[in-house]
Amino acid sequence: MTTGSALALCARQELVLAVRSRWTQLFAAVFGVLALTVATSGYILSGGHGVQDFARTAASLVQLVLLLVPVTALLIGVLALAPDRGADELLYSQPVARRTILMGKVLGLLAALVGAEAFGFGAAGVVIFSQSGNEGLGGFLLLQVCAFVLTAVFLALAALIAAGSTGRRTRALALALVTWFVAVVLFDIGILGVASLLRSGPASRLLIVGTLANPVDAVRTAALLGIQGTTAFGPASLSLLRFSHGPMGAGVLLAGSLLLWLVGPLVWAARRLSRADL
Amino acid sequence: MIRFDSFSKRFGRTCAVESLTLSVGAGEVVALLGPNGSGKTTSLKAAVGLIHPTSGTVAIGDPPRPALEPAARAVVSFLPQKVLFPDSLSGREVVEFYRRLRGVPAERTDAALRFASLNGASERAVGTYSGGMVQRLGLAVVTLPDASVLLLDEPTASLDPDGLCAFYELVEERRAKGKSVLFTSHQLGDVDRLADRFAVLVEGRLVAVMSQGALAERLAERGVMRLRLSGRPSTLLDRLKPLAPDARWAGDELVVPGPASLRPAVLDRVRSEGVEVRGLTAEEGRLDLLYRELVGEER
Repeated sequence: MTTGSALALCARQELVLAVRSRWTQLFAAVFGVLALTVATSGYILSGGHGVQDFARTAASLVQLVLLLVPVTALLIGVLALAPDRGADELLYSQPVARRTILMGKVLGLLAALVGAEAFGFGAAGVVIFSQSGNEGLGGFLLLQVCAFVLTAVFLALAALIAAGSTGRRTRALALALVTWFVAVVLFDIGILGVASLLRSGPASRLLIVGTLANPVDAVRTAALLGIQGTTAFGPASLSLLRFSHGPMGAGVLLAGSLLLWLVGPLVWAARRLSRADL
Repeated sequence: MIRFDSFSKRFGRTCAVESLTLSVGAGEVVALLGPNGSGKTTSLKAAVGLIHPTSGTVAIGDPPRPALEPAARAVVSFLPQKVLFPDSLSGREVVEFYRRLRGVPAERTDAALRFASLNGASERAVGTYSGGMVQRLGLAVVTLPDASVLLLDEPTASLDPDGLCAFYELVEERRAKGKSVLFTSHQLGDVDRLADRFAVLVEGRLVAVMSQGALAERLAERGVMRLRLSGRPSTLLDRLKPLAPDARWAGDELVVPGPASLRPAVLDRVRSEGVEVRGLTAEEGRLDLLYRELVGEER
């Protein structure tokens, strides 16, 4: 069997398992309900009635995506990818390289989670389109792409955590939660805290590094840039924009950062797994 | 073939296996015995490339390749100690997945499921299976490729008598085809029934390797004949000494340890002393006692 066929087979198997998993189904349902809720309630809260258009919904959904997608990808990823005695011993004893099996599993999980997110976005999208037309659809679609990229990055991190946690799934889950908390909550507080103690120049450079070093911030900046331009930017994103001489440069830097966050952990995970005793 | 050459494995400060040298040739069935935690599973997992040796090598196939290479695993079928499958897949889906992963013809799926004999449950989710059914499904996956090496970690642990018979047939069939089989078991009946040789590991060290012939000899030596006699001549033990130096009185019984081949001569000697034999019981050496002896010596 070729590496490509083994990869496709493992990906298909993981996709089937993930689609049948209650966790994935629950994620799709919760994501759908929350997206619909945001679409219908955001407008009401701001004094209007009916359903928000795509642009407003996308802007309101950014925070939801940044909170929910990383934690889901990390937890579902670690649960599915941490080698388990009995279940994975048989799989990894087959004449297929460990990295092929790992990458196949990651691809299958990615397809399942992206499908679940597409279901949520799709449900909200149908309602919005039927009520408010297609204004701002581009931003809404860009947010979906951002969600898919964020899913891929955090699945790669889940693979890295799982590859080093053979037979220690609880520890891996705890580490996944810590990773989520640091990336989504603690990192920004820390960076802003330190930046407030520095002078303008060093503070600005720290904020740029912070935006590029944290995939959550990178996705947030890219999504806001695509949906609302620079109007919703905070100090970190504005520093990045100045440093990169405009949106195009910022986009390239952000894409490069996210690519590194995707490839780096996957390569490291494959190396860890190939050296692990299963 | 399977070849462990000074294979050692340490987990932190714990030495799981120490300098194991053992080979299993084509057409040979070898049982790996030992108490829990003696390194049997570690050795088997090293042979299928799941564990990296701390030192030494483990090679598989002919010509031998390091077990860690995926290509070496192409000739291996492995059954883990506690095999598990995703609950949401059916038995058929499990077998079909591994069939495709091994690049085996499609008709092998039905053959493997027939071997598993799941009583019509092959379309049902594995989550509804009993432990024995999961074990049978694991064995079915093992039978998919015509692998030249079978590595089975406690394969009979949860099998019912039907499953046991099917497993025995599988091993006999593979032996007849010239395949190498290495299995661990705590069921000494399996060892007696299947193994050409058995190896005993205690605390990671190989303490004995015995062929069936050597085993039969060792067991025969451990046979005991007990005689109830009409009298107790004082010279009898001296007269028996050249034949059975360990013969002794135990109450009214004359106890004569030694192989079965010795017994007719002992009876002739007893009768020649003018004593009538009123009762006789003979006990052959037991594998479990020999095993305990081997293990006990090393602890």
